Amino acid sequence: MHNNEKINGSGKRTSFTHATAQAQAAGSIEAIPATVKDFRCPVCSKDFSGYPELKQHYTEDHPDAVIPVTVSLNINGKDCEVLIEPHWTLQRTLQFRLGLTGSKLMCDRGVCGSCTVIMDGRSVLSCSILAVECEGKNIQTIEGIAANPKWKPLVDAYCKWDAMQCGYCTPGFLVSAKSILDKNPHPTDEEIKEALAGNICICGTYPRHSTAIMEAASIMAKEGE
Amino acid sequence: MKNFNHINAKSLEEAIAILSEKNTVLIAGGTDIIPLLKDTVLPEYPETVINLKTVPGLEFIKEIKGNLCIGANTRLTEIAGNRTIKEKYTALAEAASKAATPHIRQMGTIAGNICQLTRCWYFRKPQNRFQCVRKNGNKCFAAAGDSRYHSIFGAVNGCLAVNPGDLAPALIALNAEIITTKRIINAIDLWETGYPSNTVLAKNEIITEIQITEPSSGTKSTFIKFAVRKSVDFAIVNCAVSVGKDSARICLNGVAPNPYRAEKAETVIAGKKVTAELAEKAGDIAVADAKPLKDTAYKVQIAKILVKRALLSL
Ligand SMILES: Cc1cc2nc3c(=O)[nH]c(=O)nc-3n(C[C@H](O)[C@H](O)[C@H](O)COP(=O)(O)OP(=O)(O)OC[C@H]3O[C@@H](n4cnc5c(N)ncnc54)[C@H](O)[C@@H]3O)c2cc1C
Ligand code: FES
Ligand code: FES
Repeated sequence: MHNNEKINGSGKRTSFTHATAQAQAAGSIEAIPATVKDFRCPVCSKDFSGYPELKQHYTEDHPDAVIPVTVSLNINGKDCEVLIEPHWTLQRTLQFRLGLTGSKLMCDRGVCGSCTVIMDGRSVLSCSILAVECEGKNIQTIEGIAANPKWKPLVDAYCKWDAMQCGYCTPGFLVSAKSILDKNPHPTDEEIKEALAGNICICGTYPRHSTAIMEAASIMAKEGE
Repeated sequence: MKNFNHINAKSLEEAIAILSEKNTVLIAGGTDIIPLLKDTVLPEYPETVINLKTVPGLEFIKEIKGNLCIGANTRLTEIAGNRTIKEKYTALAEAASKAATPHIRQMGTIAGNICQLTRCWYFRKPQNRFQCVRKNGNKCFAAAGDSRYHSIFGAVNGCLAVNPGDLAPALIALNAEIITTKRIINAIDLWETGYPSNTVLAKNEIITEIQITEPSSGTKSTFIKFAVRKSVDFAIVNCAVSVGKDSARICLNGVAPNPYRAEKAETVIAGKKVTAELAEKAGDIAVADAKPLKDTAYKVQIAKILVKRALLSL
């Protein structure tokens, strides 16, 4: 028996391997709703059949409230539309509108990097970005990295080198790691430390990250040959 | 965060028109203003947030007739990595590369950096728990409270909180000019301890560009920062210096409510060859006027040494 076997809720044994994780991530991307289905009023929780009806309801019943807006995004290659209020952060939108729970909220103040996503090629903090300002942006999250077989060596190296303990900060580290490998396929220890300098790990896993990333880089280079 | 209206401004004119109305704030990279909104630090929560990132033409680094021009929305990463800035305006590139974290540098803009509000923990206490002088209260809580990160050069308008920025001293050492929608402000005159803003900017005034005149040949500049951790942390003290053939500019930050230009120390250096003794003397003179609080004596030592080290590293 593998030690990574887990007993799920129904008592059945499922083996948690990279393949299941990859399938899970791919499934969550697949499940991203392409269009807005729920037009629920955030003030009084009434449901409406469409955006015009919701707007009409605001003019009648909440004339002073801020009307929710729709925003189009491209998340991990999938086009989608969300209905949010203007004060919603990207992290909140990913989690509560798109079902992507990988970008973790830890400090909620831009300090820790656990909510890192890649937006138009930059690694940025989804807790400190307003979703209304992301119209038309390409956003990659940890789910996109986990679902893509190309990045298996990176995920494997993180597991092999135990570059995590509680794991809460790990998605943010992995996204930052992917971002540096995109720009620099052979980063040095120094360069990795610099690129990860915005990710905080309370468990203190720091030394493991560069080992894992450098190993992943060399495996990916060989695979690319 | 509480709700607000949000407008993606399409032009400066549009942004100015909305700013002129009551209760609005500008957002650029958002790394300072979003936490402020989350903690409801601003006594009047804004009705409208105006996005400046959607205004075209504010993100550039150009050399025009030898002078450096940087658009207000230019991110710190771009400034830190620009070849020309690294070579000729080294202090600015170094300051941009040492601010915050790689993620924040990819989001944060130069204008946002110089307009950021103080990090004083009484001022920033969520839900406005401390009605300090900056919030039209009648006292500065750092005076009797924990002031370990506060001023060593006294208060301005009763406030002992320090300016936290890394780019401010570099811009002052390089004698930059801040171009706004209304006027041109010399960097040294931009900051003022008031409220709600940290700067002399009017409510409907927007920074569009930062300009720096090309330093005369042989001029060298540098920036050093002392912080608890190399990344993430704000400076406890930072220092930028720029020394030319017969001129010297030295600016400290994190030591006073506004960036502190050490003019007397500049006269020690100007026109002379920087030696170890002279650098030491400049450091001593830079902090000669310090009036540390009960918790900030250590910062005087740091400021002194930073001036010396910065000068010797040129
Ligand atoms: C964890 C953390 C660590 C940090 N560490 C540092 C550090 O070490 N050193 C440092 O210097 N800073 C630091 N910062 C502060 C700061 O957020 C960034 O440096 C950044 O550059 C701010 O730019 P922004 O575009 O995100 O500003 P925003 O948050 O968008 O704006 C800040 C302020 O500037 C105003 N503003 C923006 N653009 C303009 C304009 N064109 N005209 C007029 N007003 C304008 C806004 O209205 C707002 O009040 C840190 C922030 C965090 C969250
Ligand atoms: S949760 Fe976004 S940086 Fe910590
Ligand atoms: S593994 Fe626990 S916070 Fe990093």
